[in-house]
Amino acid sequence: MATEQELSQFLKDVEKRAFKRALYHVRDEEAALDIVQDSMLKLAHHYGDKPPRELPMLFQRILSNCTLDWFRRQKTRNAVFSRMSDFESDNDDAVDFDLLETYAGNDHTQTMPSAEEHTQRVQTLQSIEKEVQELPARQREAFLMRYWEEMDVAETAAAMGCSEGSVKTHCFRAIQTLSKALKAKGIEL
Amino acid sequence: MNIAASPSAEQAADRFARRVTARLSENNRLLAYDISERLRAGRERALSERRREVSVQQRVTAASVQQQGQTASLGGPQHQGWWRAALSAVPLIALVIGFAVFIGSQEDFGTHEVAEVDTALLTDDLPPSAYADPGFLQFIKTPPVSSL
Repeated sequence: MATEQELSQFLKDVEKRAFKRALYHVRDEEAALDIVQDSMLKLAHHYGDKPPRELPMLFQRILSNCTLDWFRRQKTRNAVFSRMSDFESDNDDAVDFDLLETYAGNDHTQTMPSAEEHTQRVQTLQSIEKEVQELPARQREAFLMRYWEEMDVAETAAAMGCSEGSVKTHCFRAIQTLSKALKAKGIEL
Repeated sequence: MNIAASPSAEQAADRFARRVTARLSENNRLLAYDISERLRAGRERALSERRREVSVQQRVTAASVQQQGQTASLGGPQHQGWWRAALSAVPLIALVIGFAVFIGSQEDFGTHEVAEVDTALLTDDLPPSAYADPGFLQFIKTPPVSSL
């Protein structure tokens, strides 16, 4: 059974990545924060007694399910309020741009000595993030779980509910797409 | 579609993927302060939820131990309940059988006693009708002549 400190440390380690993953999906900061908080609550409530090694996969599954639930709720709401979807798509773009501007603004003031270099670096990071966000959902999930959450192929397959072969295929395609897109932008890693 | 890649291509793809995710992690450090704080608040809430769960579980466990304390010495796994119930019925069944045997033997013993009395009466020199004779009873009660 994970101790409170272990659970706290685990959540601290994954919360920012979880937020970003949710944000890539839903493209709405508030919704992404809600999804991450729901996921953390569910993990603590239902699986707080599990050993620490089981927590990463459980959390990834909960996060995926919470994200899916959010999309289902959106779908239901959009069905009721038919004009809401157009309004939300405008909002999504605005949020996306706000997020990027916030990053650039904060860092610009913090690093005056190498401002130009830093700005270039931030722009590069944002480009990479944008390309990751543009990946198809399943490819992005597989790619992020496999390489960002550092789960192995079997764990990723279990968390995504698909075969290991599908995970490999999704990852390979995601890498190909990212490689081409970043090369086209002149970004070298 | 089946995707086959050579080992070196796979390694190169892995390295590229690691570099991409390293940049993503780097970008994570630039998260706005309010986002970080809200994530921290969410984490604290989840941990307090867990604390509450643990305390409830401990109370439930303590209560169940108190309730089951008297049977704890005889206790075993719960799935063996029917087997334990059957075993606990064995002494009761033995007691009932013992009573039945005892009552039966008592009846036999009484029958034997009555039969012995009857046999004694019938095989005695004195006929049974003598006991119904008032003169004979008087004779019995009268002291022997030698004592006069």
